[in-house]
Amino acid sequence: MNTPAIKDLLYKMADDQLILGHRNSEWTGFGPVLEEDIAFSSMAQDKIGQSQALYQLLHELGEAEPDTIAFTRNAEQFHNCQLTELPIGEYDFSLIRHFLFDHAELIRFEMLANSRYEPLAQLARKIKGEIKYHVMHANTWIKQLGNANEESISRLQNSLEYALPYALGIFEEGAHEEALQSEGIFPGEKAVMEEWKKRISERIEQTALRLPDFSQLQPVYGGRKGQHSEHLQPLLDEMSEVFRIDPTAEW
Amino acid sequence: MTIQSLDPRVSRLGLTSLQNDDAEQATVNQFPTFQVFTQKKEDKPFEHGGIVHAPNIEMALIFAKEQYSRRFTCSGLAVAATTSVKTTDVSENKEDIYNLIQEPAVSSSEKEPYEIFHLNKRGKQTVYAGSVEAGSFEEAAWEAKKAFQNDKPVYNLWLIRRNDILFIDEEDKDIWATLGDKKYRDALDYKATDKIKAFKEEQNR
Repeated sequence: MNTPAIKDLLYKMADDQLILGHRNSEWTGFGPVLEEDIAFSSMAQDKIGQSQALYQLLHELGEAEPDTIAFTRNAEQFHNCQLTELPIGEYDFSLIRHFLFDHAELIRFEMLANSRYEPLAQLARKIKGEIKYHVMHANTWIKQLGNANEESISRLQNSLEYALPYALGIFEEGAHEEALQSEGIFPGEKAVMEEWKKRISERIEQTALRLPDFSQLQPVYGGRKGQHSEHLQPLLDEMSEVFRIDPTAEW
Repeated sequence: MTIQSLDPRVSRLGLTSLQNDDAEQATVNQFPTFQVFTQKKEDKPFEHGGIVHAPNIEMALIFAKEQYSRRFTCSGLAVAATTSVKTTDVSENKEDIYNLIQEPAVSSSEKEPYEIFHLNKRGKQTVYAGSVEAGSFEEAAWEAKKAFQNDKPVYNLWLIRRNDILFIDEEDKDIWATLGDKKYRDALDYKATDKIKAFKEEQNR
């Protein structure tokens, strides 16, 4: 197995899940209604748990302990796409991000369930069930608010247009795309993106929202190479604040 | 002055007061309730779990999943608007509620399935008993009496038209086939009291 290629793949997925999980957890206690607060917080916990499981695979490949990887790196050492690090904004943005990101995640893990890298395939078979609910949740909200009234529709539309170039950054290709494909580990970012466009288009068509022409959008790349917006480092500082007080503490 | 908190998320909100100025409006805006039923294992009957507030039944199902099945094994989930659940009186003492149900005077020609739930133990949740074909709630109660009454008393009946219930699809049941090791979700796993005790003992030494 091509270890550098697998590590690259695991890092970007794990970092996506950790950063978005942390971002979404910022809604805990502030959600629009109690039921949604619980659901969104629970999904954020799922994402953090998924990142932990992926970091554990990395640890088994010789990387540091999951906590060390999660809490002691600086922004330029993270491989998450920039979409995941953007501030939570208002709920319309957080919902749109959740919708765009989780559709891509579900496709990714559905594909990885058949990966020839067996530890990842086993993990993906578990994770895809969790994300399936996340996608059901996102679809239900987008259908609801995407058809509700002028305010909800225009808010979602604005957030969609703002988020889409970042969402295309999910699919920024790495140095190992060909190796991953030829070794049957992962079918590649292009394959995920094509399926993603199809699935989100189907959902958006059921609402009053409009998808812009993808060919006119400029994807926001860089995240996979450690280039981030000004929002990531403050997030990391906040996330690791307690850990850094005493890295040896047992929780 | 905006409120400054040890929780940076609270400080970021830029609030000047923690009072909800619009408490009255919040009551008016409260969503209707839906009754939630969960099935813990494939071979176990559905049981009443509790309620969720939601704007419609699809949102209710989505909320119910995290509200009632995020911590335990689950293999089925269903919701129905509270207004669509017909309940009988609750019987007194050891009286079987079925003894109070009479045959309806007229019989309908158009029938549809009704789902029947029993309260078998006071203070517990109602449990699914089975379904009957009927044209009205009165007929459904009578059909349920014929089908399900036995020597164990039932204290309260819930009846719901099957068409008023929304289930998680069979093909979506893998939403519960999830990562196993989730102890980090449970406060218990952090053993906080043990740690506080150990810390205090060390301080007093």
